[in-house]
This record gives sequence, C-alpha cells and structure tokens, in this order.
Amino acid sequence: MNRTVLIVGAVLVVPLLLFLAIGFRFDPRRIDSPLIGRPAPAFTLADLDGNVVNLEALRGRPVLINFWATWCQPCVVEHPILQAAARRWEGRVHFVGVVYQDDPSLIHRFVESRGAWGPSLLDPAGRVAIAYGVYGAPETFILDRDGVVVEKVVSVLDPRSLAARLDALVDGSGGS
Amino acid sequence: MISTLGQGLVLLALLCCAVGIPVGFAAGARRSTVGLAWSRRLALAFAVAMTLATLTMEYALITHDFSVSYVAHVGSRATPLVITIVSLWSSLEGSILFWGFVLGLFTAAVAYLQRRGHEDYLAYTLGTLFAIGLFFSFLIAGPANPFAPTPPPIPLDGPGPNPLLQNHLLMIIHPPMLYLGYVGMSVPFAMAVAALLRGQLGPTWLKPLRNWLLVPTSFLSLGIMLGGWWSYEVLGWGGYWAWDPVENASFLPWLTAIAALHSAIVLQRRGTLKAWTTILILITFLLTILGTFLTRSGVVNSVHSFTQSPIGPLFLVFLGICLVAVVVLLALRIDTLASEPAGESLVAREGAFLLNNLLLVGLMFTVLVGTLFPIIAEAVRGVKVSVGEPYFNRMAVPIFLGLLLLMGLGPALPWGRARSEVIRRALLRPLPAALAALSLTWVLGGRSWSVLLTGTLAGYALWVTFDRASEPTRRGRGGATTGSLLRSPRLIGAYLVHLGVIVTFLAVAISANHQTSGEATLRPGQTMEIGAYVLTFDEAEAVREPHRIVRRATVSVAHDGESVARLEPSLNQYLTQREPLGTPAVRSTLGHDLYLTLMNLGGDGSIGLRAIVTWIWIGVFVMVAGTGLCLVSPTSPRAT
Repeated sequence: MNRTVLIVGAVLVVPLLLFLAIGFRFDPRRIDSPLIGRPAPAFTLADLDGNVVNLEALRGRPVLINFWATWCQPCVVEHPILQAAARRWEGRVHFVGVVYQDDPSLIHRFVESRGAWGPSLLDPAGRVAIAYGVYGAPETFILDRDGVVVEKVVSVLDPRSLAARLDALVDGSGGS
Repeated sequence: MISTLGQGLVLLALLCCAVGIPVGFAAGARRSTVGLAWSRRLALAFAVAMTLATLTMEYALITHDFSVSYVAHVGSRATPLVITIVSLWSSLEGSILFWGFVLGLFTAAVAYLQRRGHEDYLAYTLGTLFAIGLFFSFLIAGPANPFAPTPPPIPLDGPGPNPLLQNHLLMIIHPPMLYLGYVGMSVPFAMAVAALLRGQLGPTWLKPLRNWLLVPTSFLSLGIMLGGWWSYEVLGWGGYWAWDPVENASFLPWLTAIAALHSAIVLQRRGTLKAWTTILILITFLLTILGTFLTRSGVVNSVHSFTQSPIGPLFLVFLGICLVAVVVLLALRIDTLASEPAGESLVAREGAFLLNNLLLVGLMFTVLVGTLFPIIAEAVRGVKVSVGEPYFNRMAVPIFLGLLLLMGLGPALPWGRARSEVIRRALLRPLPAALAALSLTWVLGGRSWSVLLTGTLAGYALWVTFDRASEPTRRGRGGATTGSLLRSPRLIGAYLVHLGVIVTFLAVAISANHQTSGEATLRPGQTMEIGAYVLTFDEAEAVREPHRIVRRATVSVAHDGESVARLEPSLNQYLTQREPLGTPAVRSTLGHDLYLTLMNLGGDGSIGLRAIVTWIWIGVFVMVAGTGLCLVSPTSPRAT
C-alpha cells in the first residue's frame, strides 16, 4: 500500500466530491441579492476619460447600474437595448456602466465602434463588483431616487420589463 | 409494444454487464481462458443488445410512435427526417442511450481486436468496461429511461427537438463526435486498470493502449472543434470559444489525453514514466465523467442549459465510486509499475516531453479550478462569484505559447544525454526560420506581442516539424515521400498532428487579435462599408417551412467594387419556441471571414470581419488526419 498516493488522492478527491455535493444545494441560475431593499454601496469611479462619477451625487433620480465587459457576448446583445433605454429615459434616469474584468483599451474600441449609452466606469481591482456581489457580466442593478436597490437583473435585460420598472420609478410609484 | 421491446433490450444489456463484471475479474485473477471466452461473448451480447435498443428507438422516432415517452418529448411530424433521426441525441434520455450504444460498440471492438496476445489483460479490461456499462445500462433502464410508455392520452404530435439543435447541420455531427471521444476514453481507462491489476505495463500492452487512447482523443478534437464551429456559425456572436463550463468539460480530458499520449512515447522509448502515464489515462476518464456530471447536473451555470437533468446526483455517486476506486487501486498497485531507470537529462527530448506534460496538466488544473470556482466559492463563502473569460485567457495564453515553444524545442533535441555542442547546434538551426516568420508576421500586419510571439514560435516549430518529418526520406537516400510515408506513417502522422496544432494556434492568435465589428440599421437599398467590402441590403422575405418560419435578409456583398456574394442571414422562428433563433451568414475565405447577423427585421444587424478563422477548422482536420495516420502502421521502432 502506497500511503503517499492514498493521502494525496484523499486530499484531492474528498474536497472535490464535497464541493460538488454541496453544489446541489444551490441553483446556479437563481442569484438573489441581499442588497435589494438596502442602500446601494457607494462608489466613486472614473470613466475612460478620467471623469469621476460619484454614485451619491446621482441621488434624486433613479439609477441603472450595468456591469458589463467587451468579452461578454450577452453584453454585446444587451448594448443596443441599453442605448435605446438611455435615449428614452434621458434626463429622467441615470445610466451608469461599470466595466467588469476588462481592458480599458478594448472598452475604448468597443464604445467607439458601437457608441455609448452612459459613462463606462473603470473598476480596476473589481472592488465595486465585489461590493455589489456581481457573479458575472452582464448584471444590472436598478436604484430608486433615494439610492435604494429595487431590482437586480442577471443576464440580458428584457426591454419590456425594464420599461415597466423605469416608468414606475420615474412616476414615483415603483420604489421598494 | 416498442416500449416493452426497448426496455427488454436495455435490461438484457444490464444483465450482460452485471454478469460480465464478476466473470471478467475472476477470469483475470485466475488467468482462466474459459472465463475470458465468456467475457468476450458477454461483450458481444452487450453490444448487440445496446445496438438493437438504439435501432428500436430510431424506429420509434421515424414512425412517430408517440406512445414512447422520448418520442413524445422530442418528436414532431413536421420535423425533417434527418433531424428526426439525430434527435436521438437531442435530449438527455436519448443521448444516454446513444452513450450506451457507443460503449457497447467499443467494448465489443476491444474484445475482438485485442483477442490475441493480450489474454493477460483482456479479462480485466472487459470486467472494467462492464462495470462502466452497468452504470449506463442502469441509467437507461431506470432514471433516464427513454422507452418509458407515455401516460395516456397519447399525443398525436410532439414538440420536436430543441430548435438550437435543428438549426444547423453541424449539430448533427458535433454531439456524436464528443460522445465517441468521451465514451472511448473508457477503453484506455479499462486497459490502464488492467495493467495495474496485472502489475505490469509492457510494450505489448502499451501499443494497443496508445492506439485506444489515440482514437477517442481524435474524436474529442473533432467534437470540440465542431462545437466551436457550430457556435460560430449558429449562435451569432462571432466567437467559437467562450470558456463555458460545458466547453471546458470537453477540453479537460483532451488535455490529459494529449499529455498521456506524449508520456507514453517516453515510456515506449525510455521505459520511464510508467506510473505517470497510467495516472494520466485514469484521470482522463475521470474527467470525462466529471465533465458529464457538470453538464448534466446543473451545478454550474452554462449556455448548454438544455442538458440539465435530474440524474446529476447519480452521476455524482458514480464519479465518487470511480474516484475512490482509482485512488485505492493506485495506492495498492502503483508500486508494481516500477519504471526502468534511465539516464535522464532535462536538456533532451524526454525533458521537453516532461515539460509538455507539466504544462498540459497545469492548464488542466487551471481550467478545472476556473470551472469549479463558482461551486467552491459558494460552498466556502456562500457567495456567488464566477471567473470570467479574461481569467482563462490570461492563464491559458502563456501555457499555449509554452506548448508551441516545446513543439519546436522538443523534436529538435536528441533523446538521452548528448554533448552540449550537439544540443546547441540542434537548437540554433531552426532560428532563421523563426526570424523569417517574425518578419513575415510583421509584414502581414501583426503588431500585438501575442501575434508576433506566436508567429515566431510557430516558424521555429514549423521548421522543426518539416525537418523531422522529412528525415526518413533523406535517410532513405532520396526515396520518394510516398515510400517514407509507407515506411514510417506514425512518424509522419505525429508531425502532421503537430502541423495541425501549429496552424490552429496561429489561426486562434491572429483571429483573436484581428477583427473589426459594428452594428448598422439599413433600409432596402442602403449600403454600408466594412474593410474593403461594401454591403447592400437588397430585401427581406419570410419563408414558411413546415416546422419554422425563416425571415431572411438578402445582402449583396461587393469587394473592391466587384460583386462577390449574396449573404442571407436569417431569423428562424420555430413553431415551438417563443424567441426566434438567428442564423448568421458567413462568407469564409482563407484570409478572413465576413460575418453577418440579423438582429431584427427592421434591418438591424451586426457585422464582423475576422481574420483566418477558417484555418482553425483546417488545423484540426489536419490534426485528425495525422492521428489517423498514426493508427495505420504497426509500431515503428523509429517512430517519433
């Protein structure tokens, strides 16, 4: 009996099986956020051109925060949806993009060829993404005019439900 | 009727396996020829039962027998015949049946092809294959039973298979290729188990073992490539690889299989790495089961969500049994596979092989950790976090470059200890080719460091590859290439595989770095430009087909003022699906691809130009052709 093999094998196999078994308890598609109903974590981030955006300063209007990246294909699909939404609610809702795990030069090229729908804020160490518990891109957080998170959307936004939510928030009836 | 027949055949297969396990292992332990003969008969019976069960299902599908639950689940009278036939693997129960069918064929093939000269190992091998077969037969007979009768009332028509699978011809061949690769890995696994139980891995067993590893590896290469090609042609986002958990699941065993194939060469030449090669082969199989578990259980979030099912826990139990059995078997028997001591030198070809193995296994661990990270993070910290594509690219690109470097250095180096002067000369000779490739890459417009480095390393490796592959011709005093091909097809085959890999690496690096894309809204008659192309949106039309409505845009493409093509990207509305599925139109040339995706019928579309994507597919085909050549010959003493 080779004890080394047994020990190394056990060290690799037992945690693997344990993690996989625990994995069953969770639904990977259901991503709740403990942030809903609470004030959104504050941040101050700079965009590609160095313009600083402070979330606190956006109070008074609903805010849509979208975590995205150029490598994320659903984000590419979502881009025109956000562009259309930003046009439709211009002056009534703040649209803020936070770049998730991406290279500024790629972001720059992407925005140049496809156009922007709001500032693309750089989050170099991913601190803001962690504070918001972002699982992957795209994820969208919708804040009411007091800065409270009312909804988190994972994956591509559905234009109809987005419209319903934003209209309600703008009317003042859609808070948490 | 069909239900009863199918279930009976599956139970027969289950019975063959249940009896075959004790018969096989007992025959192995007692070296009983009678026991071995019975194992071989049972292997044949298992294959026949599985084949007949699969044919029964095909009959039910083709005749639209909706009294069979699987047919009611994936069949539809409106679906074209070809799609009906392949809907065998369009959903879980059918694909597990197909899995059992392939396993049956492999088991029978091993029992037949290795019948002479391998009596020492064959009974154990078949016993192990029966154990795997037992699990799959059990799944088909019970939890994932495709033959279960449909509860009344029997429907008159069904929903048809998943539209995504109906949307493109590549989907007809991609899954079976992957299954052939996945299931095929059971054979080298069983052979390695037999070597451990027998306590020896001699050249007579190593040769068939290598061949049985080569076959599923090339199916896996094809399967992975066809999957990438399919997502490129069908999914409409212009990419072929996204490090999705399901893609990773097929990539993991491929990496260890490639590592095992290389360490087997060292074992063959130098008599070392016996235990290591065995472990790699065992891990390869375990990774196929882990991969299947990940894709079937729904524990990770993936674009392949159509494959989720309730059999996940069973797969976990099976994976657990396999893992524990392998660890115990290794602990008990690994010391019997002592390698012959050899004067090793790291600056020799075996050193390069060793490094290649470390890189491949390192990449496997990197990808594995990245894939399992969401599960681990959630289990440990209770939060959902995933690592994105950048993690994988950041980790994988340097390893790929390292592998490309070794593909040049390894074959350039001599085997065993050599004088440093010889080594220096061997390594310097390909340098001009590397510098020429660097200049060529620059001239052709490559500017990013990754493309330039890939170009340089590829130049070096290409020179070495051609130099080595042409060696027999030169040695044969000017003999024709066909002569050398006949004399040492394995050598030529191995370098053909390298050539394919180099081409693929180059194409991936260049296509990832040289692409432009954009979006446009056009009205009929309007034009837009991309690169040297001018696109004119001619018209939009809707065509009604029995199972879908195809809404198509016709776009004329002119290149340098000359009309070159008419592209027709479409949106397909399947009658059973709410959201339409896009089919991009791609104009592929050897230099670049023009890629059009229709977003809606208002004339919105996205467009992309990607350099030399076609060469990725060509490279993989070359790899597979090379593998085929490796299988042709008897082991040549000069091979590789």
